[in-house]
Amino acid sequence: MNRNVLEIIDALSAHEDNESIRVLEELGTNSPDNEVREYTSRALVRKNVHDSLKVVIINQGKGINDLSPSVAMSTINEILALKDKEEVIKILDDTISMHSDESVKENARSVKSLLSLS
Amino acid sequence: MAKIIKIASTTTPRNANPFRTSRSVATNPFKYSNFEGNTLQFADVFEGFEPKNISKLKMIAASVTGTMNKIKSGFEPIVNFVNRVRGGISSAWDYAKNTSVTDLPGMRTFSRVMNTPVTDLPGIKTINRVMNTPIEINLLSGITDSLSGIKTGISGRISSINDNVTTFGKELSDKWTALVSKIQGSRISSDLTVNELEELWKKEIELEVGGAV
Repeated sequence: MNRNVLEIIDALSAHEDNESIRVLEELGTNSPDNEVREYTSRALVRKNVHDSLKVVIINQGKGINDLSPSVAMSTINEILALKDKEEVIKILDDTISMHSDESVKENARSVKSLLSLS
Repeated sequence: MAKIIKIASTTTPRNANPFRTSRSVATNPFKYSNFEGNTLQFADVFEGFEPKNISKLKMIAASVTGTMNKIKSGFEPIVNFVNRVRGGISSAWDYAKNTSVTDLPGMRTFSRVMNTPVTDLPGIKTINRVMNTPIEINLLSGITDSLSGIKTGISGRISSINDNVTTFGKELSDKWTALVSKIQGSRISSDLTVNELEELWKKEIELEVGGAV
């Protein structure tokens, strides 16, 4: 993966405004490169805010719902590594209860189970 | 017998043979020369022959005189040459002074050429005829065609050069953009705004897509 892209993703993850999340979602999670998508998802998880966690949990084909197992597993591992899991559990509960897509609900349920076991 | 030989040797003149020489006894080779049967004595032949005492000053003077004579004989041809040249110059001056200009060799031919009209000189008529000949239309047409061909060729060359310059400019622009991105990439940090980071990311994507194509 391009080193400049890595540095750009790191710089965007350091920003706290929602505009940085929008850029990460548009350019990172939609990238055809698996490594870029993986690195972007982990960066969004590390932000640990509602808007960033929502991107990797409730969107089909992004984060834990990515078609690439490596991207999905890396995102799950980053969620499990969070110290403050309050926001992520809240979003997982809302996804399990209210999301329209059953596969997204199933993935959210699996991640919540892992969180309860960790 | 021995006594007879001894007596004979004493009575016979000791130097009877004139060709018999002996270094020990004969010192004057002319002493025994026979001039009509007379033997010349040394004192008669070399009478008054004694080395003269010539002074060295006279000898030096004689040597100098001889040398001067040799130098004089060497100068004589040079003197003769100078005299001849002087005589020649004098003759040339007399010739120039007594000869008219019109009588000089070649003056008649020169005068004839100078008095001939220019139009009558050889070759002038040919030049005049060529200069007065009208330029034919075909010649002009050929020149026009040639100019048109040159114009077409130059236009094609300029078009080719333009294409090359355009291609070169595009390549140069891409490389310049890559260079700028590389320089900017070396100082990517959170100090940049989100919009700046977004633009950089988009340029990186464009470069990757362009490089892949």
